[in-house]
Amino acid sequence: MIVIEAGRRDARSLDARLLFAADLAAHGYDAVIDEETVPDALARATRYDAAPYLAARADLAPAAIVVIGAEEIGDDALITLRDYALEPDVPIAALGRFPTHQARMGAEARLAHATARTPAIVDLEAEAPGIAPGTLLPLLAAVRAAPSGATTPTLAIAFGADLLEDPQTLPLLTAMNNLGALRLRLITTGKAKDEIKGTRYAALPVFSITELPPMALARGIDILAVLGSGPPGERVASLATALLARGGAVIDSTDDAALAATGAPVLRGPATLAGLPGFAEHTVLPNRTEIARAAAADAWIARHALPRIAALAGLPAPPERGQRARAPRALFVPTNGNGLGHAQRAAQIAGALPAGLSAAFCAFPSCLPLLNARGFPAAPLVSPTGAHEADDANDILNALRLARAIRPGDQLVFDGGYVFTSIFRTIFETGAKATWVRRGLWRPGQIAESHLDREKAFDQVIVPGEAFDELNTDLSFGPHIHKVGPILQAAGDEAPDETRKALAGAIGAEFTTLVVSMLGGGVAADRTAQLQTISAALAHRPETAHVIVAWPGAALPPALAQWPNTHVVTTLAALPLARAADLVISAAGYNTFHELIYARTPAIFIPQIAPYMDDQERRARAASDRGVALTVLPDELIALSRAIEAVLDHGEGAGLSAALADLTLPATGTGEAARRIAELMA
Amino acid sequence: MAPKRPQISYVIDPRFPGGTSSAVADELAVAVQHGAVTVHAVSSAMLKGRAVAPVLERALADMGLRLVWDAPAIGGDLVVLHNPGFLKFQARLAPRIVAHRLVVVTHENFSLPSGRPGFDVAGCLRQIDAASYTAEKLLAPVSPYNRQTVLAWAAAHTAAARPWAVAPEDWFNICATGAATATPRPRDRRGRHSRAGLEKFPPLADLDLTFPASAEMNVILGADTLMSAGPQRPHWALFPFHGIEIEQYFEMIDFMVYHTAPTLRESFGRVLAEGIAAGKVVVADPDTAQVFGDGVIPARPAEVADVIARHIEAPTRYAEQVARGRTMLARFSADRFAQMFARHLAPAEAAA
Repeated sequence: MIVIEAGRRDARSLDARLLFAADLAAHGYDAVIDEETVPDALARATRYDAAPYLAARADLAPAAIVVIGAEEIGDDALITLRDYALEPDVPIAALGRFPTHQARMGAEARLAHATARTPAIVDLEAEAPGIAPGTLLPLLAAVRAAPSGATTPTLAIAFGADLLEDPQTLPLLTAMNNLGALRLRLITTGKAKDEIKGTRYAALPVFSITELPPMALARGIDILAVLGSGPPGERVASLATALLARGGAVIDSTDDAALAATGAPVLRGPATLAGLPGFAEHTVLPNRTEIARAAAADAWIARHALPRIAALAGLPAPPERGQRARAPRALFVPTNGNGLGHAQRAAQIAGALPAGLSAAFCAFPSCLPLLNARGFPAAPLVSPTGAHEADDANDILNALRLARAIRPGDQLVFDGGYVFTSIFRTIFETGAKATWVRRGLWRPGQIAESHLDREKAFDQVIVPGEAFDELNTDLSFGPHIHKVGPILQAAGDEAPDETRKALAGAIGAEFTTLVVSMLGGGVAADRTAQLQTISAALAHRPETAHVIVAWPGAALPPALAQWPNTHVVTTLAALPLARAADLVISAAGYNTFHELIYARTPAIFIPQIAPYMDDQERRARAASDRGVALTVLPDELIALSRAIEAVLDHGEGAGLSAALADLTLPATGTGEAARRIAELMA
Repeated sequence: MAPKRPQISYVIDPRFPGGTSSAVADELAVAVQHGAVTVHAVSSAMLKGRAVAPVLERALADMGLRLVWDAPAIGGDLVVLHNPGFLKFQARLAPRIVAHRLVVVTHENFSLPSGRPGFDVAGCLRQIDAASYTAEKLLAPVSPYNRQTVLAWAAAHTAAARPWAVAPEDWFNICATGAATATPRPRDRRGRHSRAGLEKFPPLADLDLTFPASAEMNVILGADTLMSAGPQRPHWALFPFHGIEIEQYFEMIDFMVYHTAPTLRESFGRVLAEGIAAGKVVVADPDTAQVFGDGVIPARPAEVADVIARHIEAPTRYAEQVARGRTMLARFSADRFAQMFARHLAPAEAAA
């Protein structure tokens, strides 16, 4: 375990420590940061950055201590080091940029006095000055996997907010974004990103520099151009160094050649944005291989290699870590949403994957019984509990779990509306291929631009269609968007008569009419009034069995069971019951709606209309407008009773059945979704 | 016509918070008896923002002297520059020094016990050399150990050391003998005092050994870094530097136990002299104790408990040790310092 400390305790030093920890970790070191040395209040992105490396002081077992920014060592850091009461054989290394001989000697003496040992001093200014002068972070070349190798290389442009003052900037960037030869990625400050997202150029693929760790941001980048005046900040410098180390090309387009002046193997490019596309396309692209070869052979890279600096610092070799080999797999991560719809759909797709491609799940606890029942291995994610001050505490933990679950070659398949930060970061940090399964029919304004911004993490978006075409709308565009037919649970082999017979045995009652109620788990709204109304309406019908389907774990009012003819059945296999019913009274969630429509089962839909849900009313109305179902709003209890009577007593049921029989439906998309996921892994 | 009094100039940064200022305050009282003294204050980068040390301020006021800040030129028959370490954070000593003899008193050891440099000695001495026009330039160590580090440095840095000779006698700190008497019934009441710097404290494990829960009292004065964070020891009475009067502190203890970080060795050990003068039995690490011969009991942290136990069970032994300390302090009296100081003035007077 390498404990990373910094001379000072400010935000900049913490950021540098986190980035350095990530560099060491990438080289196999167990790099940690004492959580007691970190401020309580951290920015959201920093909390995610820090989570993999924070350790409780009681758990520290240092094999070495590295102090960065050692040119200025405050008493806080020294007292912390003293309090560690280190074993005598634990070395300390101090990395810094010492402006004078005295500064170096002072750092050495202060550390020596605090820790009762002589530290190894590494003067970065002399040993590895880096690509940007004055950085606290040791800018070391952690040599990693080669650039993306994508057919269309990615050009990232790093720039400051001042570039936006030029009215031509965003039009120019938009033009570059449409160059066929290069994919564009913009990296700028958080403020500049917000500014861009507030313009009509919001579709530009913009990253805030703190949105992801530089190493993660570097994934998928082939060429980085740095614009602006003076040396770049720590994160851009770290990004540039990471890219150089993996054979990428860095173009110094700063006004004053700040990067090139350091001797780093960068290309001096045009200092204006307008000159960049031509330079990147006609000078850099044709020579990428030679640029990478020359950079790899450059003495600068060797001088900045992390193992060299680790040796100067006297760090022990990183521990050997064996990881059990397994074939790449698709890791499905359904959000929990307001029911189990996302998990249901993900399980459908997973079940349709071709032989040889295995699927696994990371899912919230409410989804685990369903997934286990379908035979999929599923590791638990953590639901928000409200027990922590930070509303993202559970998601930070999930980010750690997801990172551990993903191995090289795996694909992450997310099914949900809002891309959690854990999902977004895991994709970049692991370099996994990624698919977003995103059904449509959002309410106006429900999907914010900021939600769609995270689409940039995914290689493809699979949009399961709605059965009725007017409900299919586009949220975003591009060759990565794949619309497929509705994804729904395939009907099983169960004959409806056999199901009814088995049900009669199970509830101990004979019936000629079967009504099934599936109003959801009560997450979005309490459905007791509706269920009471239905039960009351069916209480005087001795020939009718009313079955209320509840998911395992769902809470239903016990009084419902007191109604004559009403039975509460807890099961994960609702579809066979629904297919065997004469009437289903259901919410209009994507899965159940389509399963009922495709099973051509007469139904009364009571849409859930919570503002954070999909537009179930539109979906239900699309069916009732075609005469293939009835729609009753949740507060229309009298209408609900009348609708039941109409179906059971006044021939409405026959009418619905006839209309359903004539209904033409699009082909389902489960198979195509599975095929696209498999193709992405090929 | 009365003989011209020697012109004596002191060059100091008067804002040193610890032993340097105390030593200068004591020796100015001797210097004024030997000549016309001017005290030049240099605003160094090292001590920027600090106030003049109170002990020095009081001494100057008592003698009717005033500080002359940042004079462009400093002259005298004898110029005494105390603690060249105050120049370590700057590149140039601004005033020009013109004197017959320049004495640089080397309060800080030139090297650490590890052999590594204590500070940028060459850089500091280079500034002084470049700024001074003198017939003689002397480095004056404050103790035998301090002398060792100076000589070792000079041997290893012949070019940088070339302008400098090393004074044959130690420019020791003047130590008051004190009038306090030894307590007739010593108890296990221990204490230590120092500046708050981490270099002044041993590792925590050693601090636990020397100030254990079994002691009746453990007083640590200058414990700022133990109070702001770190280990909680209910049996320690912690006070910040200057948190209580030194007399109050000495009233609380019978044994002074003093160990520093093993990476540091005191150049003189002024705090030990203060303990002796206060009539306490002083226990210190063997290296630091050397300066005071048998006036300080040498003991490693693990040996301290035994030393204290032996002196509690035999109060006579305690009293004898206090007496030995006082005898030893006489070697560092103002009179002896005055004799040494006069010898430094003699060549200048002869030249005049």
